[in-house]
Amino acid sequence: MASVDLKILAVGAMTIALYTTVANIIPQLESDLPPEVDLAAGMTPEQLVEIGGQLFAGAGGCVVCHAETPGARAPNLSADYQGEGPIGVRCHARIEGMACKDFLYQSLVQPTQHMVEGYPPIMPPADRTLTQPQIWAIVAYLESLGGEVTVTAADIPAAPADGAPEPAAAAATGAGLEAMGPAEIVQVECVQCHLYEGEGVELGPALDGIGARRSADELRRAILDPPSVVTEGYEELVGLMPVDFGRRMSAEQLESVVQYLSDLR
Amino acid sequence: MRERLRHPFWQGALVLGVAYALFRWGIPYLPPLLGISSAPVPRSVMLQYMLTVLVGILVWVSDNEERWRRFKEPMRALLVQPERRVARGAMLVVLPLLVAFVTYDSLRPKISAPAGLRSVHPANPTSITVRGEAMILEGLENPLRTAGREEEAVELGFDLYYQNCMPCHGDYLDGQGHFAHGFNPLPLPLRGGGTIAQLTESYVFWRIAKGGPGLPREGQPWNSAMPAWDEILTPEEIWAVTLFLYEQAGLSPRTWEEH
Amino acid sequence: MNARAARLRWARRWALAPGLLLLGLTLLAAPLLGQVYQPPAYGSDFPLIGSRNAIWIVAQVHLMFAAFVLGVPMFAVVTEAIGIWGKDDRYDRLSKEFTRLLLVAYSATALLGGLFLFLLVTLYPGLFAYLSEIFHISMWVYAGLFFFESATLYMYYYGWDRWKEGWAKLGHLGLGVLLNVWGTAVLFIANAWLTFMMSPPADVAPDTSPAMVQFWSAFANATWMPINIHRLIANAVFGGSIVAAYAGYRFLKSRTPEERAHYDWMGYVGNFIAIAVFLTLPFAGYWLGREIYEYNQQMGVTMMGGFMSWLWIVQAFLIGVLFLAANYYLWLGLGRIPGGERFVPYTKWMLAVLVIGFMVWATPHSMIADRDEVAAMGGTHHPFLGVLGLMSAKNTAVNLMILTTFLSFLMYRRANKIPTVSWAKTGTLAQGTILAVCTAVVIFYGIYGYFVPTLVRIGFSVYQVLAVLFTIVAVIGLDLLVMRKAESRGPIRWGEMPERSQYALFVLVITFTWLMGLMGFARSGIRQHWHVYEVMRDTTAHAATPALGYAAQVISACVVIFLLMIAFVFWIGGMIATPTLVAHEEPVVVPVRGTDPGPDAAPGLGLDPQPLPAE
Repeated sequence: MASVDLKILAVGAMTIALYTTVANIIPQLESDLPPEVDLAAGMTPEQLVEIGGQLFAGAGGCVVCHAETPGARAPNLSADYQGEGPIGVRCHARIEGMACKDFLYQSLVQPTQHMVEGYPPIMPPADRTLTQPQIWAIVAYLESLGGEVTVTAADIPAAPADGAPEPAAAAATGAGLEAMGPAEIVQVECVQCHLYEGEGVELGPALDGIGARRSADELRRAILDPPSVVTEGYEELVGLMPVDFGRRMSAEQLESVVQYLSDLR
Repeated sequence: MRERLRHPFWQGALVLGVAYALFRWGIPYLPPLLGISSAPVPRSVMLQYMLTVLVGILVWVSDNEERWRRFKEPMRALLVQPERRVARGAMLVVLPLLVAFVTYDSLRPKISAPAGLRSVHPANPTSITVRGEAMILEGLENPLRTAGREEEAVELGFDLYYQNCMPCHGDYLDGQGHFAHGFNPLPLPLRGGGTIAQLTESYVFWRIAKGGPGLPREGQPWNSAMPAWDEILTPEEIWAVTLFLYEQAGLSPRTWEEH
Repeated sequence: MNARAARLRWARRWALAPGLLLLGLTLLAAPLLGQVYQPPAYGSDFPLIGSRNAIWIVAQVHLMFAAFVLGVPMFAVVTEAIGIWGKDDRYDRLSKEFTRLLLVAYSATALLGGLFLFLLVTLYPGLFAYLSEIFHISMWVYAGLFFFESATLYMYYYGWDRWKEGWAKLGHLGLGVLLNVWGTAVLFIANAWLTFMMSPPADVAPDTSPAMVQFWSAFANATWMPINIHRLIANAVFGGSIVAAYAGYRFLKSRTPEERAHYDWMGYVGNFIAIAVFLTLPFAGYWLGREIYEYNQQMGVTMMGGFMSWLWIVQAFLIGVLFLAANYYLWLGLGRIPGGERFVPYTKWMLAVLVIGFMVWATPHSMIADRDEVAAMGGTHHPFLGVLGLMSAKNTAVNLMILTTFLSFLMYRRANKIPTVSWAKTGTLAQGTILAVCTAVVIFYGIYGYFVPTLVRIGFSVYQVLAVLFTIVAVIGLDLLVMRKAESRGPIRWGEMPERSQYALFVLVITFTWLMGLMGFARSGIRQHWHVYEVMRDTTAHAATPALGYAAQVISACVVIFLLMIAFVFWIGGMIATPTLVAHEEPVVVPVRGTDPGPDAAPGLGLDPQPLPAE
C-alpha cells in the first residue's frame, strides 16, 4: 500500500514540476516600474506638465469654470481665443514685457490682477488650495497648451524644511477641516466663493447678515445639499458649490458653523 | 505488415511520424502550393505540437483496457523475451546515447543567438510626449479623421510614406521593401489582419512616433531598426501617415471600448 | 438654607481640586492630542522570503482553503438534495462524509485567515489602514458572519442524524442552503476589498482622503460582480475536484470490492460536478475580462497583450491538460458500463478534436524563435500558423473542446440505457442535428471573425458561447425526455475501473489548484506596482511584478503547502469515524477485463438508441 502513496506523490510532484517548468521555459520578464513622481525633487518639464494636467482637470478644480463648453464661466484655455491662440501662445502677449510663466503664475495667485473682458471676477486665488509646486505644475501645463514649457525646477520653491505640509496644502486634500472652528471654517473655506466682511470672492451670495435672511434650518440644508437652497439671482451658479462639506465636517462642526452663520444679523 | 498496422503500438508510432512530417515539412511547403505564404515552424512550437500529439497518443492507447494491454506487449517483449537479446542490448546502448547527444546538443555553444520573445504588440504607455506636448493615448482618435479634409491628409500621408517608409515596409505595405532583408527582425507587414488591424490608431501613432527606442521593457530585446519619427515628422504628419496606412491596406483601426 | 449654601461651597472647593488635577493631566497630554497618529506605510521586511512572498503565499493558501470550505458545502447540499429526491441513501452518506471534513478544514481556513490578517497589519499597515477606513463597516459584518456560519455548520453536521425524516430532513437541507448563503456573503464582502484594490471607482484619486470615499461606490466597484460570479463557480469546481481526488485516494487504498465500488462512484460524482460546472467558467472569465477592458483599456492590454500575455499560454496548457484528463477518465469509465463499448470506437475522433483544439489553443501569436527562425518567418508572427494565434481561432477551439467534453458526458449517460419512448430515434436525430448545427455555427463565426474589425470579432465570441450554452441545455433537455422510463442494459459495475484512471483525478485536482494560483497571480499582477490601482503606489523593493517563472515557483510552493495541509485534514477526518459504506446494488467481484468488442460492434453515430445484438 505504501507503493500507492509513492505513486501518488510521484504523479503529484511530476504534475507540479511540469507546470513550473513550462512557466520557466517561456521568456521571463518583470513588469516595468515607472519613475516615481515627487514634486519636491528636480523634475523634467514633461513630468511637470503631466502633473499640472492632472491638477487642472482634477484636484485643482480649474475645469469647473475654465470648461471647454461654450458659455463657460471663464475663458477656455486650451482653445483659440479671439485669434490670439490657446493660452500657451496668448500668455506672451497679454502683458507687455512680462514672461509667459510669470503672467500665468500671477494670474493664478492674484486672479483679479489680469481680468479678461466680459468675464466676472470669480476666480479664487490658487494658493489657497494648492502648494507652490502644484501651482508651478499648472503653469507648466498651461504653457504646454500651444507653447513651449519654460518652467524649470529652479522656479519651484523648496518644500518647508521639516517636511510638514503647509496649512493651505492640508486644506487642499480635503481633510484639513477637522481641527478648525466655525469662524475659521467660514473665514478660510466659505470665503473662497462668498464675500464676508469684505474678504473673499464675489461668486455666491455674501454672508454678511445671512442669519437675518435665512433660518438655521435653511443654512444647514444649504451646506449639506447646496442646490436645495438657491438665493434669487444666483440660479445660474447652482451646482458650483461643493457638495462634500457635509462629509468633511463632523456633525458638531456643522452645527457650530450653522450657529455661527445664524448669528450674523 | 497488415497485422502491425492494426496494432496500437505501431499505429501510435505511425501517427507520431505522420504528425512530425506534417509539422516539419507539411506546414512550410504545402500552403505555398495553394498560394498561401508559409515558413518553417520554430523549434519551440514544434516541440509543443509534438508533445501534445504524444500525450494524445498515450491517452488513446490507455483509455481502453484491451488496447492498453496490447500497446504494452511489444515493449514488454523487448524487455523480457530471451530471443530479443540483441535488440534489447542495442536499445540499452542507443537510448542513453540519444539522451547524451540531446543534452550535448542543447548545451554546446552555438553561433546563433538564443531564442527569445519579442512581444510585437507590447502594452502602450498611458501618455507620451511628442515635441513637448503630452498626448494621452487612451481614447485618442486621429484628429484628421474629423477635420473634414481627409483626402488631402491621405495625399500627404501617401507622399510621406513613399519618402520615408517605403524602403523598408515596401511598395505594397507588405514589409518587403528593398532594404527589408538587411534587417532582423524584418519590418512588419502592414497588410493583413495581424498588425495594424488589431491596434487602435493611437497605438500606431505611438509606434511611429517613438519607434524602436521607445519600446517598453516587455518589447525587449528590441533589435528594431525603426527610427523614432517624432524628431523628423510633426504629429500632424504622423497622423496623416496612419490615415494613409489604413486607407491603403483597406483596414480600419481597432475602436475603443464603449463606456 | 445657609447651611446648604455652605455645603455647596465646600463641595465646590473640593471638587475643584481633582478637577484642576485632571485639567493639568490633560494639558500634559495635549501634545499627544495635537498630532494625529499616522501608521507607517510598511512594516519591516519579512525575513528570508520578503514581505511580498510572505503575504502572497499566506493569502493564496488561505484562498485555496476558503475555496474548499465554500465549494464543499455547495457540493454537500447538492448531493444531499439528490439523496432526498432521488431516494438514494448513498448521496446522503457522501454528503455527510464531506461535511465532517469541513469541520477541520474550516478551522484551518480561519487560522490562515488570521495569519493573513496579522501579516497584512504588520507588513503593510499603511494599506490596511487605508482599506479599513473605507471598509470598516463591512469588516465588522464580515467577522460577524463567521459566527452565523460556524453555528450553522455545527447544526448542519451534528444534526444530521437527528433531523433525518420528513420535514425535519428538509429543514436540515435548508440549513445546508443557509450555510451556503453565509459562505457566499463572506465571499462577496472579501471580494469587494480586493476588487477595490484592482478597480477603484474613477473619482478616487491619489489625494482623496479615504474618509471621503463613498462606501457603496467602493464596495460595488467595476469588477466586483464578475469576480464574485467567477469565484463562486470556481469554488464549486474546486470542491468537486477535491472530492474526486479524495475518492481516488480511498479507491486506490481500498481492500474490498464494496469499498472500491463506493469510492469509484464517489470519484465519478465529484468529477462530474467539477467538470460540468467548469464548462461554464470560461463564460464568467470572459465577462470579467470584458469589465477589466471597460474599466481601463491599458489594464486590459497589460493583461492580454503585454506583459502578461504569456501567462495565457501557460493557462491554455493547464486547461488543455484538464480537458484531456477529464475525458480520459470518462472514456475509461465506459469500460464499466454495460453497453459502453458501443461508444469506444468514437473516442479516438473526439480525442483528435481535443488534441487539435489543444494545439490551436496553445499556439502563441508571437512565437519564441531564434534569429534565423525569425528571419525565415519574417517576424515573430508565423505567416501561416499566425492566424491560429488570434482570438477567433482560440475561441473556436475551446468551444469545440467544450462540446466534445459534453459529448463524452452524454455518451456516459446513455451507455447503459435503452430508450422506450416511441420517438426515440427522432429525438436522437434531433440531438445530433443540434450538435452539428452548433459546431457549424462555432466554426462559421470562428472563420468569419477574420474578416471583420476587432471589436465586432469580440462580439462574435458571445454568439459562439450562446450557441454552445443553448446546445448543452437543449440536448440535455431532449435527453431527459428520450430517456424517460428507459430500460437498463444492466447496472454500472462500480469499482471495475483501472487504477490509472484515479491518477487522472489527482492530475485534475492539482491542475485546478495550480490554475487557481496562476489566476490569483494574474488578477493581482495586473495591478502592477500599485496597491490600489492608480491610487496607492507600492513603494517597496518588491513593487515590480515578478516574471512568470518566478511566480510559478511561488505558486508551486503554495500548491504543495495546500495539498500537504489538506492531506492532513483528510487524515484527521478519517480518524473521527470510519466511512460508512452502503451495500451496493450488485457487489462487484468481477476482475477487470477487456471490453473492446472490435470495430464493428457499434453501428450508427454512437448515439444510436437501438439495442445491440447480444454478443
